[in-house]
Amino acid sequence: MGKKIKDALWGTTTRKVWTIVVAVLFVASLIIPFTYPVSPPHVALSGEQIFADGPAWLTNTVLTTIIVDIIILLLALITRFTLRMVPGGVANFMEMVVEGLYGLSESVAGKNATKFFTWSMTIFLFVIVANWSGLIPGVGSIGFYQPVEPVEELEEVIDEEHGQAPVDAGAVAGNGFRWDAQLAMAGGNLILAAPESIQAAPVAAEEGAHEKFVPLFRAPSADLNVTFALALSTMFMVQVWGVRFLGGSYFRKFFTFSGPNLFMKFINAFVGILELISEVARILAFGFRLYGNIFAGEIVLATMTFLFAFLLPVAFYGLEVFVGFVQALVFMMLSLVFFQMATIGHSGDHDEHH
Amino acid sequence: MEALGIEWPLLIAQIINFIILMLLLRAFLYKPVLNMLNARKERIAQSMKDAERASAAAREAEADKAKVLDDARREAQEIRAQATRDAEKIAGDVRARADQDATEIRMKAQADAQKQAEVALSDANKQIADLAIMATEKLLGRELQNKAEQHRFVTEFLAESAGSKGK
Repeated sequence: MGKKIKDALWGTTTRKVWTIVVAVLFVASLIIPFTYPVSPPHVALSGEQIFADGPAWLTNTVLTTIIVDIIILLLALITRFTLRMVPGGVANFMEMVVEGLYGLSESVAGKNATKFFTWSMTIFLFVIVANWSGLIPGVGSIGFYQPVEPVEELEEVIDEEHGQAPVDAGAVAGNGFRWDAQLAMAGGNLILAAPESIQAAPVAAEEGAHEKFVPLFRAPSADLNVTFALALSTMFMVQVWGVRFLGGSYFRKFFTFSGPNLFMKFINAFVGILELISEVARILAFGFRLYGNIFAGEIVLATMTFLFAFLLPVAFYGLEVFVGFVQALVFMMLSLVFFQMATIGHSGDHDEHH
Repeated sequence: MEALGIEWPLLIAQIINFIILMLLLRAFLYKPVLNMLNARKERIAQSMKDAERASAAAREAEADKAKVLDDARREAQEIRAQATRDAEKIAGDVRARADQDATEIRMKAQADAQKQAEVALSDANKQIADLAIMATEKLLGRELQNKAEQHRFVTEFLAESAGSKGK
Protein backbone atom coordinates (compact mmCIF):
# COMPACT_ATOMS: atom_id res chain seq x y z
CA MET A 1 0.00 0.00 0.00
CA GLY A 2 2.68 2.48 0.99
CA LYS A 3 4.73 1.38 -1.94
CA LYS A 4 1.80 1.96 -4.25
CA ILE A 5 1.33 5.51 -3.00
CA LYS A 6 5.04 6.18 -3.32
CA ASP A 7 4.98 4.88 -6.87
CA ALA A 8 1.93 6.98 -7.74
CA LEU A 9 3.60 10.15 -6.47
CA TRP A 10 7.25 9.49 -7.19
CA GLY A 11 7.29 6.72 -9.81
CA THR A 12 8.39 8.50 -12.95
CA THR A 13 9.98 11.83 -13.72
CA THR A 14 6.62 13.27 -14.81
CA ARG A 15 5.03 12.19 -11.57
CA LYS A 16 7.88 13.70 -9.57
CA VAL A 17 7.43 17.03 -11.34
CA TRP A 18 3.69 16.98 -10.72
CA THR A 19 4.09 16.11 -7.07
CA ILE A 20 6.57 18.93 -6.59
CA VAL A 21 4.37 21.44 -8.43
CA VAL A 22 1.28 20.51 -6.42
CA ALA A 23 3.20 20.61 -3.14
CA VAL A 24 4.70 24.03 -3.93
CA LEU A 25 1.28 25.42 -4.90
CA PHE A 26 -0.24 24.01 -1.74
CA VAL A 27 2.41 25.52 0.50
CA ALA A 28 2.27 28.81 -1.40
CA SER A 29 -1.51 28.95 -0.89
CA LEU A 30 -1.00 28.48 2.83
CA ILE A 31 1.75 31.10 3.11
CA ILE A 32 0.41 33.87 0.84
CA PRO A 33 -2.32 35.21 3.23
CA PHE A 34 0.31 35.73 5.94
CA THR A 35 3.16 37.13 3.89
CA TYR A 36 1.44 39.09 1.16
CA PRO A 37 -1.99 40.39 2.13
CA VAL A 38 -4.35 40.05 -0.85
CA SER A 39 -7.31 42.30 -1.49
CA PRO A 40 -10.62 40.63 -0.75
CA PRO A 41 -12.60 39.73 -3.85
CA HIS A 42 -14.30 42.47 -5.78
CA VAL A 43 -18.02 42.13 -5.52
CA ALA A 44 -20.34 44.41 -7.42
CA LEU A 45 -24.00 43.67 -8.02
CA SER A 46 -24.06 45.31 -11.41
CA GLY A 47 -21.89 46.61 -14.17
CA GLU A 48 -19.91 49.74 -13.41
CA GLN A 49 -18.84 52.69 -15.43
CA ILE A 50 -15.31 51.96 -16.58
CA PHE A 51 -13.94 55.47 -16.91
CA ALA A 52 -14.92 57.91 -14.21
CA ASP A 53 -14.85 60.78 -16.68
CA GLY A 54 -16.03 58.74 -19.65
CA PRO A 55 -19.54 58.16 -20.94
CA ALA A 56 -21.98 56.82 -18.38
CA TRP A 57 -23.25 54.10 -20.67
CA LEU A 58 -19.83 52.56 -21.13
CA THR A 59 -19.98 50.02 -18.33
CA ASN A 60 -17.77 47.00 -18.17
CA THR A 61 -20.82 44.86 -19.01
CA VAL A 62 -21.37 46.79 -22.22
CA LEU A 63 -17.72 46.38 -23.21
CA THR A 64 -17.79 42.64 -22.54
CA THR A 65 -21.11 42.29 -24.36
CA ILE A 66 -19.53 43.82 -27.43
CA ILE A 67 -16.60 41.41 -27.14
CA VAL A 68 -19.00 38.48 -26.76
CA ASP A 69 -20.87 39.67 -29.87
CA ILE A 70 -17.61 39.86 -31.78
CA ILE A 71 -16.61 36.34 -30.71
CA ILE A 72 -19.96 34.89 -31.79
CA LEU A 73 -19.98 36.80 -35.06
CA LEU A 74 -16.43 35.73 -35.82
CA LEU A 75 -17.41 32.12 -35.26
CA ALA A 76 -20.42 32.61 -37.49
CA LEU A 77 -18.42 34.29 -40.24
CA ILE A 78 -15.68 31.66 -40.15
CA THR A 79 -18.36 29.02 -40.36
CA ARG A 80 -20.12 30.82 -43.16
CA PHE A 81 -17.04 31.05 -45.35
CA THR A 82 -15.51 27.67 -44.64
CA LEU A 83 -18.75 25.78 -45.10
CA ARG A 84 -18.08 22.89 -47.48
CA MET A 85 -19.84 19.76 -48.56
CA VAL A 86 -17.13 17.80 -46.77
CA PRO A 87 -17.11 19.40 -43.32
CA GLY A 88 -14.04 20.25 -41.27
CA GLY A 89 -12.61 22.50 -38.57
CA VAL A 90 -14.64 25.28 -36.99
CA ALA A 91 -17.43 24.92 -39.54
CA ASN A 92 -17.82 21.28 -38.59
CA PHE A 93 -18.03 22.14 -34.91
CA MET A 94 -20.59 24.89 -35.47
CA GLU A 95 -22.58 22.64 -37.76
CA MET A 96 -22.63 20.06 -35.00
CA VAL A 97 -23.84 22.66 -32.48
CA VAL A 98 -26.51 24.03 -34.81
CA GLU A 99 -27.68 20.59 -35.82
CA GLY A 100 -27.76 19.34 -32.23
CA LEU A 101 -29.76 22.32 -31.00
CA TYR A 102 -32.06 22.17 -34.00
CA GLY A 103 -32.79 18.55 -33.10
CA LEU A 104 -33.47 19.65 -29.53
CA SER A 105 -35.81 22.41 -30.75
CA GLU A 106 -37.62 19.91 -32.92
CA SER A 107 -38.07 17.56 -30.00
CA VAL A 108 -39.71 20.36 -28.00
CA ALA A 109 -41.57 22.37 -30.62
CA GLY A 110 -42.14 19.80 -33.35
CA LYS A 111 -42.98 21.44 -36.65
CA ASN A 112 -42.82 24.93 -35.12
CA ALA A 113 -39.09 24.42 -34.54
CA THR A 114 -38.18 26.28 -37.72
CA LYS A 115 -39.99 29.38 -36.43
CA PHE A 116 -38.59 29.31 -32.90
CA PHE A 117 -35.11 28.13 -33.82
CA THR A 118 -33.60 31.55 -34.54
CA TRP A 119 -34.60 32.80 -31.11
CA SER A 120 -33.68 29.80 -29.07
CA MET A 121 -30.39 29.24 -30.88
CA THR A 122 -29.33 32.87 -30.47
CA ILE A 123 -30.26 32.76 -26.81
CA PHE A 124 -28.16 29.66 -26.35
CA LEU A 125 -25.12 31.00 -28.21
CA PHE A 126 -25.22 34.41 -26.57
CA VAL A 127 -25.83 33.10 -23.07
CA ILE A 128 -23.21 30.36 -23.19
CA VAL A 129 -20.49 32.66 -24.54
CA ALA A 130 -21.53 35.34 -22.05
CA ASN A 131 -21.42 32.83 -19.20
CA TRP A 132 -18.02 31.50 -20.16
CA SER A 133 -16.62 34.97 -20.81
CA GLY A 134 -16.66 35.45 -17.06
CA LEU A 135 -14.30 32.51 -16.69
CA ILE A 136 -11.57 33.98 -18.84
CA PRO A 137 -8.67 34.92 -16.55
CA GLY A 138 -8.56 38.67 -16.22
CA VAL A 139 -12.29 39.22 -16.50
CA GLY A 140 -13.28 40.76 -13.20
CA SER A 141 -9.71 41.04 -11.98
CA ILE A 142 -8.13 43.50 -14.39
CA GLY A 143 -9.38 47.01 -13.83
CA PHE A 144 -8.79 50.48 -12.51
CA TYR A 145 -8.93 52.21 -9.15
CA GLN A 146 -11.25 55.15 -9.26
CA PRO A 147 -11.81 57.83 -6.73
CA VAL A 148 -15.01 57.39 -4.82
CA GLU A 149 -17.51 60.08 -5.61
CA PRO A 150 -19.71 60.93 -2.69
CA VAL A 151 -22.88 61.28 -4.75
CA GLU A 152 -22.35 58.12 -6.72
CA GLU A 153 -24.40 55.16 -5.76
CA LEU A 154 -22.02 52.90 -3.98
CA GLU A 155 -22.53 49.25 -3.44
CA GLU A 156 -19.13 48.34 -2.26
CA VAL A 157 -15.79 49.80 -1.63
CA ILE A 158 -12.74 47.72 -1.79
CA ASP A 159 -9.49 48.38 -0.04
CA GLU A 160 -6.20 47.70 -1.62
CA GLU A 161 -4.81 46.69 1.73
CA HIS A 162 -6.12 43.76 3.64
CA GLY A 163 -9.19 44.66 5.61
CA GLN A 164 -8.53 45.38 9.24
CA ALA A 165 -11.53 44.96 11.41
CA PRO A 166 -14.72 43.24 10.31
CA VAL A 167 -17.66 45.55 10.63
CA ASP A 168 -20.57 44.51 12.68
CA ALA A 169 -23.27 44.25 10.06
CA GLY A 170 -26.06 44.76 12.53
CA ALA A 171 -24.56 47.97 13.76
CA VAL A 172 -24.20 49.32 10.25
CA ALA A 173 -27.55 48.26 8.91
CA GLY A 174 -29.43 49.20 11.99
CA ASN A 175 -31.83 46.83 13.63
CA GLY A 176 -34.08 44.76 11.48
CA PHE A 177 -34.55 44.28 7.79
CA ARG A 178 -35.26 47.16 5.46
CA TRP A 179 -36.63 46.90 1.94
CA ASP A 180 -34.17 49.38 0.58
CA ALA A 181 -31.18 47.79 2.29
CA GLN A 182 -28.26 47.34 0.01
CA LEU A 183 -25.41 44.92 -0.18
CA ALA A 184 -22.14 46.49 0.72
CA MET A 185 -18.62 45.32 1.10
CA ALA A 186 -16.85 46.30 4.24
CA GLY A 187 -13.53 45.01 5.42
CA GLY A 188 -13.79 42.00 3.15
CA ASN A 189 -17.28 41.12 4.35
CA LEU A 190 -20.53 41.41 2.47
CA ILE A 191 -23.05 43.33 4.55
CA LEU A 192 -26.56 44.59 4.17
CA ALA A 193 -26.78 48.26 4.92
CA ALA A 194 -29.32 51.01 4.70
CA PRO A 195 -28.77 53.36 1.77
CA GLU A 196 -27.97 56.35 3.90
CA SER A 197 -25.35 54.52 5.92
CA ILE A 198 -23.92 52.61 3.01
CA GLN A 199 -21.42 55.27 2.14
CA ALA A 200 -20.29 55.66 5.64
CA ALA A 201 -19.99 52.03 6.58
CA PRO A 202 -17.22 50.79 4.37
CA VAL A 203 -15.41 54.05 4.35
CA ALA A 204 -15.55 54.17 8.09
CA ALA A 205 -14.43 50.61 8.29
CA GLU A 206 -11.48 51.14 6.10
CA GLU A 207 -10.37 54.58 7.17
CA GLY A 208 -9.13 56.46 4.22
CA ALA A 209 -10.11 54.13 1.41
CA HIS A 210 -11.12 56.71 -1.14
CA GLU A 211 -10.77 54.58 -4.18
CA LYS A 212 -12.86 51.81 -5.53
CA PHE A 213 -11.83 49.08 -7.87
CA VAL A 214 -13.64 48.85 -11.20
CA PRO A 215 -12.92 45.82 -13.36
CA LEU A 216 -12.52 46.37 -17.08
CA PHE A 217 -14.60 43.36 -18.03
CA ARG A 218 -17.66 41.77 -16.53
CA ALA A 219 -19.52 38.71 -17.73
CA PRO A 220 -22.75 39.98 -19.35
CA SER A 221 -24.76 37.25 -17.66
CA ALA A 222 -23.72 38.67 -14.30
CA ASP A 223 -25.58 41.88 -15.02
CA LEU A 224 -29.32 42.18 -14.53
CA ASN A 225 -29.59 44.56 -17.48
CA VAL A 226 -28.56 41.73 -19.78
CA THR A 227 -30.53 38.93 -18.19
CA PHE A 228 -33.66 41.03 -18.00
CA ALA A 229 -33.18 42.20 -21.55
CA LEU A 230 -33.22 38.54 -22.60
CA ALA A 231 -36.08 37.69 -20.24
CA LEU A 232 -38.27 40.59 -21.33
CA SER A 233 -37.72 40.06 -25.02
CA THR A 234 -38.28 36.33 -24.69
CA MET A 235 -41.54 36.74 -22.80
CA PHE A 236 -42.58 39.44 -25.26
CA MET A 237 -41.98 36.99 -28.07
CA VAL A 238 -44.06 34.41 -26.21
CA GLN A 239 -47.00 36.81 -26.44
CA VAL A 240 -46.20 37.50 -30.10
CA TRP A 241 -46.19 33.81 -30.99
CA GLY A 242 -49.37 33.30 -29.01
CA VAL A 243 -51.18 36.00 -30.93
CA ARG A 244 -49.75 34.86 -34.23
CA PHE A 245 -50.92 31.28 -33.72
CA LEU A 246 -54.20 31.80 -31.89
CA GLY A 247 -55.13 35.35 -32.84
CA GLY A 248 -57.03 37.43 -30.29
CA SER A 249 -58.24 34.31 -28.52
CA TYR A 250 -54.76 33.95 -27.08
CA PHE A 251 -55.62 36.56 -24.49
CA ARG A 252 -58.62 34.54 -23.30
CA LYS A 253 -56.02 32.62 -21.38
CA PHE A 254 -55.64 35.69 -19.14
CA PHE A 255 -59.01 37.43 -19.29
CA THR A 256 -61.81 34.96 -19.26
CA PHE A 257 -65.21 34.81 -17.67
CA SER A 258 -66.53 31.60 -19.12
CA GLY A 259 -67.88 28.47 -17.52
CA PRO A 260 -71.02 26.41 -17.13
CA ASN A 261 -72.14 28.28 -14.01
CA LEU A 262 -71.32 31.38 -12.05
CA PHE A 263 -68.97 29.53 -9.71
CA MET A 264 -66.91 28.15 -12.58
CA LYS A 265 -66.91 31.57 -14.23
CA PHE A 266 -65.27 33.08 -11.17
CA ILE A 267 -62.86 30.16 -10.89
CA ASN A 268 -61.81 30.63 -14.53
CA ALA A 269 -61.46 34.37 -14.09
CA PHE A 270 -59.23 33.72 -11.10
CA VAL A 271 -57.18 31.19 -13.08
CA GLY A 272 -56.73 33.85 -15.75
CA ILE A 273 -55.34 36.25 -13.16
CA LEU A 274 -53.00 33.52 -11.95
CA GLU A 275 -51.82 32.98 -15.54
CA LEU A 276 -51.12 36.69 -15.80
CA ILE A 277 -49.11 36.62 -12.60
CA SER A 278 -47.21 33.56 -13.70
CA GLU A 279 -46.31 35.30 -16.94
CA VAL A 280 -44.76 38.13 -14.95
CA ALA A 281 -43.12 35.64 -12.62
CA ARG A 282 -41.51 33.97 -15.60
CA ILE A 283 -39.80 37.21 -16.56
CA LEU A 284 -38.42 37.53 -13.05
CA ALA A 285 -37.44 33.85 -12.92
CA PHE A 286 -35.69 34.06 -16.28
CA GLY A 287 -33.81 37.18 -15.31
CA PHE A 288 -32.78 36.19 -11.82
CA ARG A 289 -32.03 32.54 -12.56
CA LEU A 290 -29.31 33.33 -15.06
CA TYR A 291 -28.00 36.33 -13.16
CA GLY A 292 -27.98 34.49 -9.84
CA ASN A 293 -26.17 31.44 -11.17
CA ILE A 294 -23.45 33.33 -12.98
CA PHE A 295 -22.98 36.08 -10.43
CA ALA A 296 -22.84 33.56 -7.61
CA GLY A 297 -20.36 31.50 -9.59
CA GLU A 298 -18.10 34.50 -9.98
CA ILE A 299 -18.26 35.26 -6.28
CA VAL A 300 -17.53 31.62 -5.44
CA LEU A 301 -14.49 31.62 -7.69
CA ALA A 302 -13.25 34.94 -6.35
CA THR A 303 -13.78 33.86 -2.76
CA MET A 304 -12.08 30.51 -3.25
CA THR A 305 -9.14 32.19 -4.89
CA PHE A 306 -8.99 34.65 -2.02
CA LEU A 307 -9.08 31.91 0.61
CA PHE A 308 -6.73 29.43 -1.04
CA ALA A 309 -4.98 30.83 -4.04
CA PHE A 310 -4.09 27.64 -5.91
CA LEU A 311 -5.56 24.16 -6.46
CA LEU A 312 -8.87 24.73 -4.68
CA PRO A 313 -10.40 27.03 -7.34
CA VAL A 314 -9.75 24.41 -10.04
CA ALA A 315 -12.64 22.26 -8.88
CA PHE A 316 -14.97 25.25 -8.79
CA TYR A 317 -13.74 26.36 -12.17
CA GLY A 318 -14.87 23.06 -13.66
CA LEU A 319 -18.18 23.44 -11.89
CA GLU A 320 -18.68 26.94 -13.29
CA VAL A 321 -17.97 25.77 -16.83
CA PHE A 322 -20.70 23.20 -16.35
CA VAL A 323 -23.08 25.71 -14.76
CA GLY A 324 -22.51 28.12 -17.65
CA PHE A 325 -23.48 25.43 -20.14
CA VAL A 326 -26.48 24.25 -18.13
CA GLN A 327 -27.83 27.78 -17.67
CA ALA A 328 -27.57 28.48 -21.39
CA LEU A 329 -29.38 25.24 -22.12
CA VAL A 330 -32.03 25.93 -19.49
CA PHE A 331 -32.71 29.43 -20.82
CA MET A 332 -33.01 28.07 -24.33
CA MET A 333 -35.21 25.11 -23.40
CA LEU A 334 -37.53 27.17 -21.21
CA SER A 335 -37.96 29.80 -23.91
CA LEU A 336 -38.79 27.03 -26.39
CA VAL A 337 -41.26 25.46 -24.00
CA PHE A 338 -42.96 28.81 -23.38
CA PHE A 339 -43.08 29.55 -27.10
CA GLN A 340 -44.62 26.17 -27.73
CA MET A 341 -47.10 26.50 -24.87
CA ALA A 342 -48.24 29.86 -26.22
CA THR A 343 -49.13 28.27 -29.56
CA ILE A 344 -51.47 25.76 -27.94
CA GLY A 345 -54.91 26.97 -27.00
CA HIS A 346 -55.97 27.09 -23.38
CA SER A 347 -56.90 23.62 -22.21
CA GLY A 348 -60.19 24.85 -20.78
CA ASP A 349 -61.29 26.19 -24.16
CA HIS A 350 -60.29 22.94 -25.73
CA ASP A 351 -62.51 20.92 -23.47
CA GLU A 352 -65.50 23.14 -24.12
CA HIS A 353 -65.24 22.72 -27.85
CA HIS A 354 -65.39 18.96 -27.67
CA MET B 1 -34.33 48.68 -9.41
CA GLU B 2 -31.43 51.07 -9.14
CA ALA B 3 -30.00 49.14 -6.26
CA LEU B 4 -29.81 46.08 -8.49
CA GLY B 5 -28.16 48.07 -11.23
CA ILE B 6 -31.05 47.93 -13.65
CA GLU B 7 -30.95 50.96 -15.91
CA TRP B 8 -33.50 51.18 -18.68
CA PRO B 9 -31.20 52.65 -21.34
CA LEU B 10 -28.70 49.85 -20.79
CA LEU B 11 -31.45 47.24 -20.74
CA ILE B 12 -32.99 48.49 -23.98
CA ALA B 13 -29.53 48.65 -25.52
CA GLN B 14 -29.06 45.00 -24.61
CA ILE B 15 -32.39 44.08 -26.21
CA ILE B 16 -31.38 45.88 -29.39
CA ASN B 17 -27.98 44.20 -29.25
CA PHE B 18 -29.63 40.81 -28.94
CA ILE B 19 -31.96 41.43 -31.85
CA ILE B 20 -29.13 42.64 -34.10
CA LEU B 21 -27.03 39.64 -33.10
CA MET B 22 -29.97 37.36 -33.86
CA LEU B 23 -30.53 38.83 -37.32
CA LEU B 24 -26.82 38.61 -38.16
CA LEU B 25 -26.57 35.06 -36.91
CA ARG B 26 -29.64 34.06 -38.87
CA ALA B 27 -28.09 35.44 -42.03
CA PHE B 28 -24.57 34.16 -41.47
CA LEU B 29 -24.94 31.03 -39.41
CA TYR B 30 -28.33 29.36 -39.18
CA LYS B 31 -29.51 29.68 -42.74
CA PRO B 32 -26.27 28.62 -44.43
CA VAL B 33 -25.64 25.82 -41.97
CA LEU B 34 -29.16 24.44 -42.12
CA ASN B 35 -29.16 24.73 -45.91
CA MET B 36 -25.84 22.94 -46.02
CA LEU B 37 -27.10 20.24 -43.69
CA ASN B 38 -30.17 19.76 -45.85
CA ALA B 39 -28.11 19.71 -49.04
CA ARG B 40 -25.77 17.17 -47.51
CA LYS B 41 -28.67 15.07 -46.30
CA GLU B 42 -30.18 15.09 -49.77
CA ARG B 43 -26.87 14.26 -51.32
CA ILE B 44 -26.29 11.38 -48.97
CA ALA B 45 -29.79 10.11 -49.63
CA GLN B 46 -29.13 10.41 -53.37
CA SER B 47 -25.83 8.57 -53.06
CA MET B 48 -27.47 5.87 -51.03
CA LYS B 49 -30.17 5.53 -53.66
CA ASP B 50 -27.56 5.38 -56.41
CA ALA B 51 -25.61 2.78 -54.53
CA GLU B 52 -28.77 0.81 -53.99
CA ARG B 53 -29.58 1.01 -57.66
CA ALA B 54 -26.06 0.00 -58.66
CA SER B 55 -26.08 -2.94 -56.33
CA ALA B 56 -29.51 -3.94 -57.63
CA ALA B 57 -28.17 -3.75 -61.17
CA ALA B 58 -25.18 -5.81 -60.15
CA ARG B 59 -27.47 -8.36 -58.56
CA GLU B 60 -29.56 -8.45 -61.73
CA ALA B 61 -26.49 -8.88 -63.88
CA GLU B 62 -25.35 -11.66 -61.61
CA ALA B 63 -28.71 -13.33 -61.94
CA ASP B 64 -28.60 -12.87 -65.72
CA LYS B 65 -25.17 -14.36 -65.84
CA ALA B 66 -26.29 -17.33 -63.79
CA LYS B 67 -29.30 -17.79 -66.04
CA VAL B 68 -27.23 -17.57 -69.20
CA LEU B 69 -24.71 -20.02 -67.80
CA ASP B 70 -27.52 -22.33 -66.78
CA ASP B 71 -29.11 -22.14 -70.23
CA ALA B 72 -25.79 -22.78 -71.89
CA ARG B 73 -25.12 -25.72 -69.65
CA ARG B 74 -28.54 -27.19 -70.27
CA GLU B 75 -28.20 -26.66 -74.00
CA ALA B 76 -24.78 -28.26 -74.00
CA GLN B 77 -26.19 -31.18 -72.09
CA GLU B 78 -29.01 -31.50 -74.58
CA ILE B 79 -26.63 -31.36 -77.50
CA ARG B 80 -24.45 -33.96 -75.88
CA ALA B 81 -27.41 -36.18 -75.18
CA GLN B 82 -28.61 -35.74 -78.75
CA ALA B 83 -25.16 -36.51 -80.04
CA THR B 84 -24.95 -39.58 -77.85
CA ARG B 85 -28.35 -40.67 -79.07
CA ASP B 86 -27.38 -40.08 -82.70
CA ALA B 87 -24.10 -41.87 -82.28
CA GLU B 88 -25.84 -44.78 -80.66
CA LYS B 89 -28.34 -44.89 -83.44
CA ILE B 90 -25.61 -44.77 -86.08
CA ALA B 91 -23.65 -47.36 -84.21
CA GLY B 92 -26.76 -49.52 -84.03
CA ASP B 93 -27.35 -49.10 -87.75
CA VAL B 94 -23.76 -49.86 -88.54
CA ARG B 95 -23.83 -52.88 -86.30
CA ALA B 96 -27.07 -54.08 -87.79
CA ARG B 97 -25.77 -53.69 -91.29
CA ALA B 98 -22.54 -55.36 -90.35
CA ASP B 99 -24.48 -58.17 -88.79
CA GLN B 100 -26.57 -58.45 -91.90
CA ASP B 101 -23.53 -58.41 -94.12
CA ALA B 102 -21.82 -60.93 -91.93
CA THR B 103 -24.86 -63.15 -92.04
CA GLU B 104 -25.08 -62.82 -95.74
CA ILE B 105 -21.41 -63.58 -96.17
CA ARG B 106 -21.65 -66.44 -93.78
CA MET B 107 -24.68 -67.82 -95.52
CA LYS B 108 -23.04 -67.43 -98.87
CA ALA B 109 -19.90 -69.09 -97.57
CA GLN B 110 -21.99 -71.80 -96.10
CA ALA B 111 -23.80 -72.27 -99.38
CA ASP B 112 -20.51 -72.27 -101.24
CA ALA B 113 -19.03 -74.70 -98.81
CA GLN B 114 -22.06 -76.91 -99.06
CA LYS B 115 -21.93 -76.73 -102.80
CA GLN B 116 -18.23 -77.56 -102.82
CA ALA B 117 -18.80 -80.30 -100.34
CA GLU B 118 -21.57 -81.63 -102.54
CA VAL B 119 -19.36 -81.35 -105.60
CA ALA B 120 -16.51 -83.00 -103.67
CA LEU B 121 -18.87 -85.68 -102.40
CA SER B 122 -20.27 -86.34 -105.85
CA ASP B 123 -16.76 -86.41 -107.26
CA ALA B 124 -15.71 -88.75 -104.49
CA ASN B 125 -18.77 -90.90 -105.09
CA LYS B 126 -17.97 -91.04 -108.78
CA GLN B 127 -14.39 -91.97 -108.13
CA ILE B 128 -15.41 -94.49 -105.50
CA ALA B 129 -17.87 -95.92 -107.98
CA ASP B 130 -15.17 -96.03 -110.64
CA LEU B 131 -12.76 -97.61 -108.20
CA ALA B 132 -15.38 -100.04 -107.06
CA ILE B 133 -16.09 -101.08 -110.64
CA MET B 134 -12.40 -101.26 -111.41
CA ALA B 135 -11.88 -103.36 -108.33
CA THR B 136 -14.74 -105.60 -109.27
CA GLU B 137 -13.43 -105.95 -112.85
CA LYS B 138 -10.06 -106.79 -111.54
CA LEU B 139 -11.59 -109.30 -109.26
CA LEU B 140 -13.65 -110.85 -111.98
CA GLY B 141 -10.90 -110.57 -114.49
CA ARG B 142 -13.14 -109.28 -117.13
CA GLU B 143 -14.86 -106.21 -118.12
CA LEU B 144 -18.36 -105.48 -116.92
CA GLN B 145 -20.89 -105.15 -119.72
CA ASN B 146 -23.27 -102.58 -118.49
CA LYS B 147 -20.72 -100.27 -116.98
CA ALA B 148 -23.06 -97.33 -116.84
CA GLU B 149 -25.71 -99.33 -115.02
CA GLN B 150 -23.18 -100.44 -112.45
CA HIS B 151 -21.86 -96.98 -111.96
CA ARG B 152 -25.27 -95.61 -111.33
CA PHE B 153 -26.02 -98.33 -108.91
CA VAL B 154 -22.93 -97.66 -106.79
CA THR B 155 -23.46 -93.99 -106.82
CA GLU B 156 -27.02 -94.38 -105.65
CA PHE B 157 -25.89 -96.58 -102.87
CA LEU B 158 -23.28 -94.08 -101.74
CA ALA B 159 -25.71 -91.27 -101.91
CA GLU B 160 -28.16 -93.25 -99.82
CA SER B 161 -25.61 -94.05 -97.19
CA ALA B 162 -24.46 -90.48 -97.11
CA GLY B 163 -28.07 -89.36 -96.75
CA SER B 164 -28.71 -91.71 -93.88
CA LYS B 165 -25.46 -90.67 -92.25
CA GLY B 166 -26.39 -86.99 -92.72
CA LYS B 167 -29.64 -87.53 -90.86
